[in-house]
Amino acid sequence: MPRLPNTSPQTLLVLELLLESPRSWHYGYALSQLTGLKSGTLYPILMRLAEQGWLETRWAEPEQPGRPPRHTYRLTGEGARAARAKLAEAATPVAMSHRLAYNPGRG
Amino acid sequence: MHDFFGRLAGGLARHVLNWLQRRVEPESREWVDALIAESECADDGWQRLRWALGGVPLLWTIDPRNLIPPVVANIVAIAGLYGVIIPGTYAAAHAYDCQLYLDNRPGGCQEHALAFGAIAIGGSLLGLIIALTWRARFAAFWWAVFSAFNTVGSVWYLRSGIIDLPRYGATQSAMLMAATLGVVAAAIVQANLETTNSRHRITAHLIAGTIGFALADSLVRLRDSQPLVDNVSHLAILASAMVATILAGVIGRESQPTHVQRVVQGTVPGV
Repeated sequence: MPRLPNTSPQTLLVLELLLESPRSWHYGYALSQLTGLKSGTLYPILMRLAEQGWLETRWAEPEQPGRPPRHTYRLTGEGARAARAKLAEAATPVAMSHRLAYNPGRG
Repeated sequence: MHDFFGRLAGGLARHVLNWLQRRVEPESREWVDALIAESECADDGWQRLRWALGGVPLLWTIDPRNLIPPVVANIVAIAGLYGVIIPGTYAAAHAYDCQLYLDNRPGGCQEHALAFGAIAIGGSLLGLIIALTWRARFAAFWWAVFSAFNTVGSVWYLRSGIIDLPRYGATQSAMLMAATLGVVAAAIVQANLETTNSRHRITAHLIAGTIGFALADSLVRLRDSQPLVDNVSHLAILASAMVATILAGVIGRESQPTHVQRVVQGTVPGV
C-alpha cells in the first residue's frame, strides 16, 4: 500500500521542528544540524512541503557581506494545522532524541 | 596532511556545487541556489563536500532529467529514433513490395510517396518532440532540419510527381542544405537576441530563414551547372529554410529562456 504523503519519519521530524516556533524563519543548514538529516534528504522534503503550500519560503539578506542570500522557511497557517494533525496521527513522539537546543533564525 | 585533504574536499565541493548549478534550468534553480548558499555554513571541506553531494538527490527530485548528461540525451534522441525510422521504412518497403532506391527508378518506393513521406515526417517530428522532452537541444535542431526537409520534400514531391532525377536530386540536396543553414542561423539568432518582444523575435527568425535560403541557393549556383540550377525548385529550397527556422524558433522558445528573462530571474551573475 502506498504511504500517505508527508508521513515519513524524516518529514515528521522536520515538521515537528518547524512547529516548535511556527512563526520564525528557519535556515536549511540549521534544520539539517538539528534533525540530523543530510542535505539530500532535507531539501527534497522542504521542496515538496513548499509545493504543497505547507511551507513559506523567503530569501533573507546575508548576515555577512560577500555571502549569498539565504533561503529561509516557515510553516504556513495551513501547513501548521496539517503538521499538527500529522504528528497527532503518528501517535508516538518522533525522534525526540534528535532534538537539540534550537534557536531559529540563526544559521 | 589533514589540512591538505580538507582543502581537497573543499575544492571538490566547489566543483560539485558548480556542476549542480549548471545541471538545472534557471527557472527551477531556487532550491539548488538555496542548498549552495547554505554550504557556506559548513565548518570544513569535508562537511561542505557532504552537503554538496546532497544536491544530487535534490536534482533528481526537481527533475530526473537533470541527471542525464546532455551528450547522452542527444545521442539517445538521435540514434534511438533512427532505430525506429529505419526498421519502419524497411517494413513499409516489404509491405508495399517496393525497392528503396535513392533515385526515381520505376518500382521504387517513391511511387508510394504518401506512406513513406508519412514515416519520414512522423519520425522526424517524433524525434523533435522526444528531443525537446529530454532537453536534448542538439538533437532537437537535428530533427528540426529533417522535419523541414521531409515535410517540404514530401509536399513538393506529391505536387510535382516523379520528375527527372537531376532536378530532383539537386533540389533535395539544396533543401537539406537550406534547412541546415536555416537552423544554424536561427540558433545564432537565439543565442544573441536580447529581446522578449515576440514580433522582433519572429522578424529575426524570418531573417535567419532568408539567410539560410540565400546561402543554400548561392552554394547551389556555385556548385551546379547553369541549366540545372534554373530547373531547381527555388520555392522548395526557400520553404525548407523557412520551415526549419520556424521549428528552430519553437525549440528556442521551449528549451531556453532569453538573456533578458535570465536577468529578470536574477540568474545572470553580476547583474
